[in-house]
Formats: sequence, structure tokens, C-alpha cells
Amino acid sequence: GRGGMKGGSKVLVEPHRHAGVFIAKGKEDALVTKNLVPGEAVYNEKRISVQNEDGTKVEYRVWNPFRSKLAAAILGGVDNIWIKPGAKVLYLGAASGTTVSHVSDLVGPEGCVYAVEFSHRSGRDLVNMAKKRTNVIPIIEDARHPAKYRMLVGMVDVIFSDVAQPDQARILGLNASYFLKSGGHFVISIKANCIDSTVPAEAVFQNEVKKLQQEQFKPAEQVTLEPFERDHACVVGGYRMPKKAKAATAA
Amino acid sequence: MAMYVLHESSSGYALLEVHGLDEIGQNTEAVRTSVSDLSRFGRVVQLTAFHPFESALDALNQVNAVSEGVMTDELRSFLELNLPKVKEGKKPKFSLGLAEPKLGSHIFEATKIPCQSNEFVLELLRGVRQHFDRFIKDLKPGDLEKSQLGLAHSYSRAKVKFNVNRVDNMVI
Repeated sequence: GRGGMKGGSKVLVEPHRHAGVFIAKGKEDALVTKNLVPGEAVYNEKRISVQNEDGTKVEYRVWNPFRSKLAAAILGGVDNIWIKPGAKVLYLGAASGTTVSHVSDLVGPEGCVYAVEFSHRSGRDLVNMAKKRTNVIPIIEDARHPAKYRMLVGMVDVIFSDVAQPDQARILGLNASYFLKSGGHFVISIKANCIDSTVPAEAVFQNEVKKLQQEQFKPAEQVTLEPFERDHACVVGGYRMPKKAKAATAA
Repeated sequence: MAMYVLHESSSGYALLEVHGLDEIGQNTEAVRTSVSDLSRFGRVVQLTAFHPFESALDALNQVNAVSEGVMTDELRSFLELNLPKVKEGKKPKFSLGLAEPKLGSHIFEATKIPCQSNEFVLELLRGVRQHFDRFIKDLKPGDLEKSQLGLAHSYSRAKVKFNVNRVDNMVI
């Protein structure tokens, strides 16, 4: 229903530091994305319509950091998410597609999102959401076996992974070896409990970073998802980075 | 010895010949550098034949088979038509590189075409995937994504609807 962040002229929307992400400034600030399918909400999220000076309207959807780890990472101050307008993204662990829908807004009509989810229950919602968003390519398949969906996916710029499995570094590495460009990037959400609940979260994160390095990833930054998620971290970095560029940045 | 690779795309099967193997050797690192440079990769790997799928239904049959590591009749005739003939009692002078070994063993059993799947082949296929629209002249930018979109929807819809192995299917 109505209420919350509504009311055209009182809300001002400004671009966020990350291209394709916006901030709605009202009574409280909210992270938003520009709705690719104006007039439609995906999961009952609030929508904000803003009138431009020339009278045209733009609709934004509120992106809740308590429901999306990518939104939590952005509010946590991550330096670069690499997911930007025009980018091709492989999204592992798409679930019902709530975050996928915001990534779809973010990459826009020129980009695309290959969304992989194995659970049929969430997969049904994902497929339904993708009917209205033609830049989302829904794939109901096990992310552990990228060979099974090799006919459906092209080379991508970024892989976002939220599979919450003990072997998630290996799953990311396997998918990258098929689909991630050399010099492309990864964003992985790590839930410490899902990997090892017997050691402190920080030790789990360190261990995962080591595993990523063995899979030809070059982790560049790590942010915690507090206060939105407990014992979660988001690690971002590059894949098969060119050696020359490394020397150049070192110099 | 000649080498070919098979790339299964959403719009059809592509067979490519790999040249200058002696030059790059079976060296993964060397392939990696040549893959990133299109002008070099285009000289190393060249399109032999492309078999576009006839319809959406045909494409769905192919993706279901490929995903399970099964060779369809269409794939078999495409390979037999475009690869050198395998003569009985003679050792073939070529091999076929594939993304997945299970499909390879099926192909070998039925046709005696020698198949291989390894790190080296996977590196070559990364290059083919990256530069695919340059190999197939009829593909306009965006065409491949369109066929991926259509095929992914029919593949995924079928998975969600009919699956005997999953208990979370709702019965209404």
C-alpha cells in the first residue's frame, strides 16, 4: 500500500557513487534503483516516482539492505561493485530474484543478468520475475555443474555469488573458468556459519580469501555486512588479472 | 595431428579447427595469452562449420541432451559430415576437443571419433565463447543473448514444472 517514501516533489533522487545506483533523499535516505519496468513492484517493495523538470516521470524502487547482501555491501562502503550499466553479470544463488531484480535495474537494457538458482521453489518466482524483465536470463540448474548450463551463458564481466555453501570458493572458481573474462571481476558474499561454525568469523573469511587466491582470483577488498547481516563479509576482486597492469599499479 | 573443438551455443553447434598447435604447444599458459588477443586467436582457431538449430523445440531438445552429456542424432550427423572420416582399422589423424568428457565418451562409443576434454581444450573454448559473434558472421550483436533468453526460459520452465526428483514441487 501507500505510505513511507512517497510523495513526488518532497523526495529528491541523486546518483550514488556507483553508476546505476541512486539515493532517494526524503525524511530518511534510501538506496534505490531505476525501475526497468515502471508500474511494477517485484516483491512488494516501495516505489518512488519523481517528476523531472520537463514533466516526464521516472520511477525508482527502494532497495532494502536487510533483504539484499549487495545493497548491504554498498551501504557498507564497498569501493567498487563492478556491476554497472551495460555489464553482463552471472549471478549464482539467485533465490527468488529480489536482488537479481535490482541488478537488472542497475545494468539496464544494454546489460544482462544470467541468474542461476537450483531450488525449484524459488526458481518458480525467479522465472516469473524474468518474464517481465527481458535482461534477466533465468537458469534453474546446480551452480556446482556449470557444464550443464554452458549453452545458456555467454562470457561475462562480473560474477556475483551468494550460494552459502562450504565449497563456494570452488563453485565460483569453476564458473569463472567457463564464463568470466580474463580481467573480469567477482563479488562473493560469505556467511561464516555456512562454511565453519566452529572458528571465529574473521578466520573463516581469511581462509576463504586464501582459497579464492588459489582459483586465480585476486581479492582486492573485503567489507563486513554489519549491521544488516551478522558474521557476513563481502569480498570483491579480479580474475586472471594481467601481469603488466599489476606492475603499472605497483610503480 | 589436426585438432577440432566443438562449441555448443544457444543458437547452434559450431565446429572449429585449431591451427598452429606446434607453435603454441599443448601449453595452457600460451593459449591463455593468445585467447585474449583476438587477432592472434582468430589465426589459431577457425570456423569449420556451424549448424543452426531449426526451431525453439529443436534447441530445447539439444540443450537437454548436452546438459546430460548425451549425443543427439543431429549432433552426430553434424560431426560425421564435417569431421574427417574415421576409417576402420586405421588410427584417426585428428581429435575432437569437448567441454565435457561424458559427452565425449558417448560420441566416441557411437562414432569412433577420438575425443578429449582437458584444461587445454577448456582454455580454447573460453576463447571461442568470448569471440563467438566474430566467428559466426550472420550473428548480429544481441542475437546470441536473445537466443539464450528464449532457450533459458524454456529449459528452466520445464525444470520447474516437471521434476520427479524434487520433493518441493507443489501439487495443485
